[in-house]
Parts: sequence; structure tokens; C-alpha cells
Amino acid sequence: MTKSTRLVQNLILLVFALYALVPVYLVFLAAIRSEADLFSGPLTLSWPINFNNFGRIWSEAGFATFFMNSVITAVSVTILVVLTAPLAGFAFAKMNFRGKEALFGLFLAGLVVPAPSVIVALYGNLQALGLIDNRIGVILPQAALLMPFSVFMMRTVMQDVPDELIEAAVMDGAGLFKIFLTIVVPVVKPGLMSLGLITFLFAWQEYLLPLVVFQTESLKPLTVGAASLQGRYGVDYGGIAAAGLIAFAPLVVLFLAMQRSFVRGLTAGAVK
Amino acid sequence: MLTTRSAYLFLAPSLALYLLFVGLPILQIFGFSFFDWDNGIAGDFIGLANYGRLLADGVFWTALWHNAIWVVLTLAFPLLAGLVLAAILAERNASVVRWLGAIYFIPRTIPLVVAGIIWGWIYNPIFGLLNFALEAVGLGGLAGAWLAQDNTALLSLNVVGAWTFFGFCVIIYLAAIQSIDPSLYEAASIDGASWWRKFRDLTVPLLRGSTLFLGLYAAIEAMRFFDLVWVTTQGGPGYSTEVLTTHIYKSFFLVGDFGYAATLSVVLLIIVLSISAGAFALLRKS
Repeated sequence: MTKSTRLVQNLILLVFALYALVPVYLVFLAAIRSEADLFSGPLTLSWPINFNNFGRIWSEAGFATFFMNSVITAVSVTILVVLTAPLAGFAFAKMNFRGKEALFGLFLAGLVVPAPSVIVALYGNLQALGLIDNRIGVILPQAALLMPFSVFMMRTVMQDVPDELIEAAVMDGAGLFKIFLTIVVPVVKPGLMSLGLITFLFAWQEYLLPLVVFQTESLKPLTVGAASLQGRYGVDYGGIAAAGLIAFAPLVVLFLAMQRSFVRGLTAGAVK
Repeated sequence: MLTTRSAYLFLAPSLALYLLFVGLPILQIFGFSFFDWDNGIAGDFIGLANYGRLLADGVFWTALWHNAIWVVLTLAFPLLAGLVLAAILAERNASVVRWLGAIYFIPRTIPLVVAGIIWGWIYNPIFGLLNFALEAVGLGGLAGAWLAQDNTALLSLNVVGAWTFFGFCVIIYLAAIQSIDPSLYEAASIDGASWWRKFRDLTVPLLRGSTLFLGLYAAIEAMRFFDLVWVTTQGGPGYSTEVLTTHIYKSFFLVGDFGYAATLSVVLLIIVLSISAGAFALLRKS
């Protein structure tokens, strides 16, 4: 590679790193500044770091509650998906049964379904079930909307389980569910981990469902809380920035800590 | 492969959830679209009248046009950026790949609601960083109220969408490049091929499958994205960032016209299913 080619390449890598990071840096900067010097002065960190914005948002604007709500919803959705999707993935990867192609096609079609289309009818159904303004009314549909992706990913993961392992267990007379728990699950643990992480990420980021289902302030998650701050706290930029940071910092930390597992999950459905 | 009826038991929990909360509503919107609705109550059966209205609805065509523009921009910018970045990273050492891969993907971990707020500030006409930067390099004449002008709003939002998406493209392309037989590149190097030649004649053609996958993914997302528009412009100014999902949302929650919202939903669904059917046919051919 010539020197100039390498220089141009490094420049491209750098420009996109800045594109990715500058907005994140700006929100961090705004969150730790006092309102007076928010966007005036140089764009460098000032010491001492001022945590007033976080304290104000956390206790006065209800973000302690929003945070807990995000945790409750995202964890519930994740548990629900991780308990159900692997079973279906196992069936599609390792079993023959009537209607297999059609059922798999049904899940595949769900990959592209737009959530706003579903909501037009789902909203009335949730009302009829008494699930409007109820956590269950967000958790179940959210898990359902994530199901096609999850089943698809789990099928890919389960295909890597050696058939001989399963056949040997069947010979020994073990039941299918026991085989799944004792033989398949230990082998696909990394895949389950990836599924859990990605589900958690998507559930935490969800905006539309909680926006339409929750009316009570104390049930709303961070995404809805942060969006409504814009209107209510219009010019409290430091506060809004702190709220934004609270809404995404856990995800960034989780991603950086578990990068390998995330990437394995994201590529599981794509490369094959 | 086990031939067994217990398969249905394994499928039951996820299938039940999926059918109840996604499958059933999809069937219902088809039904809804044939009725005249008044304040959430179904009135007369009106056949295809809602579809006739849709054809004459200028906002529908504007929204569809914006979705189409979004598809093209997404295919052109984040996909290409992802491909080039992945091809460059493929020849760097593992820790560089790990760090830059993480940095590029960070925007995807940020909820679109928050992304919208952050970029709203960057685009702000009074204190926004973008205008400030333009003035600093002597291009102050280009400064503007990016999200509040109808000629720049959609494009400005697309830059935000690309921001959250290009890192995903890098990760997918990188995984695919790493599965290419390295001897192909070695052979090309021995023949004296330049970096550009190898990129054009080896990397791009060998990554065709990933490009199709990402292209399909991008096109579907471009047809059905909602959060980013809703928290920034809500389709405005005027209808300059209106997309199909915001039109659906407004018809449903603001106007209360369930029949028309359902009709728009059916049409959107048919569009995304057709796009995926087309892409699958292409995939099967290659």
C-alpha cells in the first residue's frame, strides 16, 4: 500500500469516528455545564464537572421513576423473548413437522411488519383487554414484535448444534424438552446471551408502544420521558442533555462491555 | 432431523404471542380498511372507498415520495460508507478494528428519541454547532434553520438516520470480509494489484450477499421508520418530512379516522412485503 493511500484511509476512518462521536460528546458537554455557559465558550470540558443537571432531572423531573420503568419493561421483554424464541428456533432448526415451511414463512413475514401499522388495530385490542395504561400492554406486544427477528436468529444459532449430540440423546430415550434443556441450551449459551442483549437494547429503545399505551406519568419509560421534556422544559438544555445521557448511557456501557456478544448476534442472521 | 409432533409445543409460546399481538392486528387492519369509521366506531361497509381516497390524497403521495427518497439516500450513503470503512479496517490490526468498530456502532445504541434531541441542537439556527462550524470556515452563507426549512429538513434528518445506521453496515460487512479466503487477496497482491483494484474486483463482488441483505434491511427501515421524525419535526414544516408512518399516526390518533389509518397501513404493509419478496428472489438467484 502506498503512503498516500494509507493517509487517505486513515483520514476516512477518522472523519467517520468524529461523525459518530461528536454528537455524543456534545450531549455529554451540555449535561455537565451550568446553563449560563452552555453553548458559549470553547467546546472543551470544564472542571470541576457539574452534576447539578443530573440531580435535578433525576429527582425533580421524575427520571428516577422513568429509569426504573425502562429497566422493568426491558428486562421483562428480554426474559419473555429468551424463554420462548429459542424453543421455536430449536423446532425450526432440528425438527420435521407438517406446515414447517408455512409457519417459518409466517415468522419471516413478521420481520418487515411496521409497528405503526400494527398499532392501528392493536390499540383497540389492548383497550378491550384492559391493557391500556398497563405495563403488560407494552411488554407482550413488544416481545411479539421482536419475535420474528429472535426466532430467525435462534434458528441460525440452533443449526450449529451437532445432530449427533441430539440423536445420541434420543437413542438414550431422553424426552425432547429434557434434551433441549440439558444438551442444546449449554451448547448455544453464547447465542442466548446475544439474543438477550439485543432484545434488551431494542426494548429499551422502544418509543412508539409506550407512547401510545401509557397515560400515567409514573409508568412511562426514559424514551417517552426524554421526548416530553423537550416540550415542558423547552430551554433547560442542561437538564434535557442529562436526561438524554441517562437514557442512553446504560446501553453504551452495556454494548462496550459485551461488544463481542452483540456483534455475534447482529451478524448471526446476516452472514449465512 | 427429528420428525415429531412435539414441534408444535416448542413453537406454541412464541407463535401464540406473535399471532395475538402482530398477526391478528394485521388481519384486522385489512378489515378496518373497508369500513367508514366515526370516532373509533365502525360505520357502514364502504368497499374500496378508502383506497379511492388514498389515491386522491396528496399527503399520501408526498409521504411515499419522502420514503422513496429515504430509501435511495440510505442505500447510497451509509451502505457505501460501511463498505469502504469495513474494507479499510479489514487490513488493520485487531485492536484498531475492535475500537473503531465500537465507536462506529455507538450511535446505534442511542435511542432515536435522544438522537433526535441531540441533532436538533446541532441543527439549531441560533446556537447550533453546524451553523457555527460553517461560519468558522467562511461558509456562513450556507447557514440555516436546517430542520425548520422545507428544502433542508428531510435531508438533515437523513444525516441523523445515517448516523445511527452506518456502524451496523460496517459490522456486517466486516464479518463478511473476514470470511473471505485470504489467499484470494494474496494472489491479487502478488499480481501487483493496487488497494483500489482489490476493493473493486474482489471485495465488492464477493460481498454481494451482504449488500443485498443490508440493502433490504435499509429499504424496509426506510419505509417504516417513525421515531426520528416524530420527535424532531412530526412531519413538518408543512409536509416536508411527512412519511407514511407519521401519516398513519396522525390519521389514527389525531384525526381518529381508523378506516383511513388502516388503509394506509395495508398499503405500507404491501409495499414492504413486495420489497422483501423482490429481494428474496434476487438472493435466490445469486
